[in-house]
Amino acid sequence: MTSLQREASKWLSTMQIGITNQMAYKINFLLMIIGPALVFFLIKYNLWVSIYSLEGITEIKGYTLEAMIGYQAWVLLVELLAKTSNGRNLAEDIRLGRVTTYLIYPFDFWKFHSASFLGTQVVQCVIFSLTFVIVLFAGLIEPAGVFQFLAGVGFALLVGILWYSVQFFVGMMAFWLEETWMLRVIFQITAAFLSGAIIPLELYPSWLVQVLDFTPFPYMTFYPIKVFQGEYSGSLLEGYLILFFWIFVIMMFARFALRRGMRLYTAAGM
Amino acid sequence: MIVCEQLTKNFRNYEMDPGVLGALKSFFHRRYRDIVAVDDFSLSIERGEFVGLLGPNGAGKTTLMKMFTGVVAPSAGRLEVLGFEPFDRSIAFRKRISLVMGQKSQLWWDIPARTSFELLRRYYEVESSIFEQRLKHLSELLEVEHLLNIHVRKLSLGERMKMELMASLLHEPDIIFLDEPTIGLDLVAQRNIRAFLRDYQREHGTTIILTSHYMADVHELCERVVLILQGQKRFDGTIEDFENLLGTDKFVSVEFKEPVDVTDSIWRPLQPKWNSDRTEVKLLVSDDEMRRTVSEILQTFPVVDFHTGKIPIEHVMETLLARPELVPLGKE
Repeated sequence: MTSLQREASKWLSTMQIGITNQMAYKINFLLMIIGPALVFFLIKYNLWVSIYSLEGITEIKGYTLEAMIGYQAWVLLVELLAKTSNGRNLAEDIRLGRVTTYLIYPFDFWKFHSASFLGTQVVQCVIFSLTFVIVLFAGLIEPAGVFQFLAGVGFALLVGILWYSVQFFVGMMAFWLEETWMLRVIFQITAAFLSGAIIPLELYPSWLVQVLDFTPFPYMTFYPIKVFQGEYSGSLLEGYLILFFWIFVIMMFARFALRRGMRLYTAAGM
Repeated sequence: MIVCEQLTKNFRNYEMDPGVLGALKSFFHRRYRDIVAVDDFSLSIERGEFVGLLGPNGAGKTTLMKMFTGVVAPSAGRLEVLGFEPFDRSIAFRKRISLVMGQKSQLWWDIPARTSFELLRRYYEVESSIFEQRLKHLSELLEVEHLLNIHVRKLSLGERMKMELMASLLHEPDIIFLDEPTIGLDLVAQRNIRAFLRDYQREHGTTIILTSHYMADVHELCERVVLILQGQKRFDGTIEDFENLLGTDKFVSVEFKEPVDVTDSIWRPLQPKWNSDRTEVKLLVSDDEMRRTVSEILQTFPVVDFHTGKIPIEHVMETLLARPELVPLGKE
């Protein structure tokens, strides 16, 4: 076995643990994995149906009610692939001093959590596929074609890595803060608004959209949807590269925070 | 195996007054306090030794363990374990040590222990056939074969500790660090763990460093003990020398039929420790005085039971904690 094969086997085994851990408790599994995205979709569904039922509103900036519900169904699908990591486990590991384990085992903290995340993504891909079939047969979405679908899946999976990087970075704050949940909530709400997860970005003032283009937010929900719908105006390659750029930048910050945090780490309570 | 010279570790904590006002004050103006957890500590441990680190809570034992395993960095001094600087945390170093913490589980709670072991096999790159052999051997010794496929969180504390031990031994490390491995366990479980550790160490000749508040652990397992008080080494020697620190007097325990006069002059030189209803006393008696003292007690008081033996290690420890001046700095 080469050292590369040995390393791959460590990652694969950790991914399996990630999957097993996630599915250990059935109710928890359903609540954690499917719950948030589905509840979020149902709230937005009701919100937009109520808005469109107001007198005189049949279309908002080109969106009919049907198009808006279709857009929200795509948000649900993208989030099933992209917003899977919540960073809670990371922060808990730090706060409760469980980092010690990963300093002793010959497999790092970062590697362990990254491999567990990839394991989670495998489960999410299955849930995404099932949800896609249901949403398609319910007539909520109209896929633009096989190429757009595959490009969209690739885009959303990359966004998943970006989201994981952000969550990892926020989780690292647990080295300095007692609690990080409020940071995660602040970021999630900000991201929900600025990524187009609640309101499509076409409905925002154009200057704001131009500003947002310099941030990773539109790439988190809005652009993946546009790729799925075959309406992405820019070059697909450029979109992928920009995502890679943001993943690289945020991951560098996260790794830096991890290194600094580890120096501060006192393994309290051991 | 382990060499440290003038090892020091400082921590910085901040102090906060009680109440909301205190919290508010500390928010704007933080009062920091530097704590010296380990102070100018030198130690050398050879291959195959079973060493007990003794000391009260906060003495610095666990901080030493953390430095030996590379979990925290020393503030000053030199430290070498197996030829490595632990804080470099190199993979080669990590593959040769293991750490068991009685107060903290290192296994994954939501999966069966066997699955965790399989994952550790990959991490430590242990051949599958060797791993199966070791797993079988260890699970038989610890009598946990029937528990391997049960979720870790559903195991009792004693069963979990056995699994933690197994996890730490599957890669056959050169050094095992045990931080209070019997804490919270009942007497039978403590005895089982001790017997296992003793046999394992004899069979493999592994170097083991142990911290424990249970003196029975130390007494039964360690050939050498190191006493740490306020981060400093106060004693380093064999367990026999440690037991004789208070002299070679014998420990005599006497039980009486009814309460006796505690003011009698016979007790005065014997450092008596009475129970609350004055029907039991523990005494320290020198070898020379033993016959005379015991016969006088037997003649004068209504004795119903009587024991004599070496000073228990618990008593030595208690006395040294109360009177640290008995082991001045530099005495080894």
